[in-house]
Amino acid sequence: MESFTIELTVSNSCGVLNRITGIYAKGKHNIDALTVRPCSDPALSVMQIVSRGDETVQRMMVRQLRKLFDVKTAVLANDTTL
Amino acid sequence: MKRSGASIVIEALCRNGVDTVFGYPGGAVLPIYDELYKNAHRIHHVLCAHEQNAAHAADGYARVTGRPGTVIATSGPGATNLVTGIANAYLDSVPLVAITGNVAVPLLGRDSFQEVDITSITRGIVKHNFSVGDVRELSGILDAAFRIALSGRPGPVLVDIPKSVQNDLCSEDEYTEQRLFSAPLPEPDLEEACRLIADSKRPLIYSGGGVVAAGASAELRALAKQIGAPVMFSMMGLTALPADEPLNLGMCGMHGTRSSAELFSECDLLIALGVRFSDRAAGNTVQYKEGKKIIHVDIDHAEINKNVTADVEVQGDVRKVLELLLQKLPRITRPEWEQRCAEAKKLDIHPREERLTPFSLLKTVAGYCTPDTVIATDVGQHQMWTMQYFPFQKNRTLLTSGGLGTMGFGMGAAIGGCIASGRKRTVLFTGDGSFGMSLQELATAVSQNLPLLIVIFNNGVLGMVRQWQTMFYEKHFSHTTLNRKTDFAALAKAFGAQGKKITSLAQLERALYAPAPDVPTVLDCQLDMDEFVLPMIPPGGSVKDLITRKG
Ligand SMILES: Cc1ncc(C[n+]2csc(CCOP(=O)(O)OP(=O)(O)O)c2C)c(N)n1
Ligand SMILES: [Mg+2]
Repeated sequence: MESFTIELTVSNSCGVLNRITGIYAKGKHNIDALTVRPCSDPALSVMQIVSRGDETVQRMMVRQLRKLFDVKTAVLANDTTL
Repeated sequence: MKRSGASIVIEALCRNGVDTVFGYPGGAVLPIYDELYKNAHRIHHVLCAHEQNAAHAADGYARVTGRPGTVIATSGPGATNLVTGIANAYLDSVPLVAITGNVAVPLLGRDSFQEVDITSITRGIVKHNFSVGDVRELSGILDAAFRIALSGRPGPVLVDIPKSVQNDLCSEDEYTEQRLFSAPLPEPDLEEACRLIADSKRPLIYSGGGVVAAGASAELRALAKQIGAPVMFSMMGLTALPADEPLNLGMCGMHGTRSSAELFSECDLLIALGVRFSDRAAGNTVQYKEGKKIIHVDIDHAEINKNVTADVEVQGDVRKVLELLLQKLPRITRPEWEQRCAEAKKLDIHPREERLTPFSLLKTVAGYCTPDTVIATDVGQHQMWTMQYFPFQKNRTLLTSGGLGTMGFGMGAAIGGCIASGRKRTVLFTGDGSFGMSLQELATAVSQNLPLLIVIFNNGVLGMVRQWQTMFYEKHFSHTTLNRKTDFAALAKAFGAQGKKITSLAQLERALYAPAPDVPTVLDCQLDMDEFVLPMIPPGGSVKDLITRKG
């Protein structure tokens, strides 16, 4: 299955990662790699998440992540390596 | 002036238009309950018998009023008892604000008495939740909770407030704002949708809970007439048009009408409005698109292209989209298709029944209701029969558990719905199994003097499961025959309500038209255990697999 990376800017607060991984877990999508790093704005963090799935899954994940109130942006990165 | 966190809660509730809350006290919400005591003139608190039902009551209240329902529970077991109620609201997109207490901040994370991490537990079944760490955040969080519950696609929000935060003092100038992200809705582009509608020979509208939530019944009816398209409904959308409207095909899906199944298979364009193509409504989503195009309108972008792929996607408020479509589209007449619709609707006509049957029962009770009567149901065969036979007239009169299918939803929902309707006569259609899951709320209905009419479809079985066992498991009736000896009429009386056993239609009529006392009334209606809900499209099937007769 195709590997895909989603890049997110999220609120730097407690429980956010849990909410985000929950979106992956409920559809049984494994996370192959994950990074979280601080951002110039200390209230935000930047995440990259690598998972696998076809176009439908990719689009669904992005749209579901965007619904979270502590996700500022979520975009599909073309580059599938971190 | 400094206020306590508990007082901030009351101020926030009042500011957000809350005058009724449902709940149950306990150690971790004592400060909030103390403020409720002092503010009894501003907020009416309804004490339920179980937190799950308190959540269902808040849910029912929200479905009737369109405003968020509010439920309060203590930490630990109080909070976990809310879980089913929150999940129910989530799956049916009902605006709900659940407030839980928790142990004091220094005790968090230490498995203290009655400590559970309710925000983690509920994360997958809320639109959003908050764990309040500091009293300065509390006011902003509560405002955000009400805003989120109601905005866009509505849903439940949980706010967990440690007891120490409820006691901490803070003045208004110390309040902090919540920083939350949500994308604004795009301007809908309807050019392609209009072209498909104009080109279509046989358009069919599939309308759902989104149309009810948006209050877009008038626009829906106008569109159906303007383009000559019949309308079929998901269960959540059923009330958007009066049952007797010529273009109304009733409910679609597993237990939908024959007319909806046939016209669905014949249509060349499906206009899906505020629906999510759930498996119960859509059936086989692989064959679903055969021979047709799909326009999908929804406020929630994540619903579009999730279960079926749309040819045209429109993200937007369905009411606004309908208004725009009405402006852009000409009047299109399709006499042949409308003729076909009228013909197909004849397939749905049900013969009169003189015995006490699910059909005759529902028609008789319907005769006693007004278009405004709030109808709650539980889950099972009785629920499906209610969808099939009860002639709903208006939005916000049907309280039923769609997405979660929660047995036991009915009593709480009826209580909340009845209070929301101004304590008017409210009807609950329940099953003997479902009623067994929440009948302790008779106590609440009695203490609140609610004129509930509780109609039990007493078939002695978990009928819906028995039907599947009959059809798909060689009549192995594994644990679906209740074999209980409960006397529901006597039970009602023990709770201080009225009760009657009903064995015939004549008896039912007499019971219904006897002067109604202002106490809940239970009618224990004896029905055959082998009635089937028909028609039925088996799971994963399509119209070709439609079963219309038993055996
Ligand atoms: C909480 C819960 N447990 C189990 C089920 C599975 N279930 C669906 S319908 C049904 C039978 C309901 O029986 P009853 O309330 O008597 O209604 P009937 O089908 O007989 O009308 C069951 C067990 C459910 N929907 N909800
Ligand atoms: Mg039953």
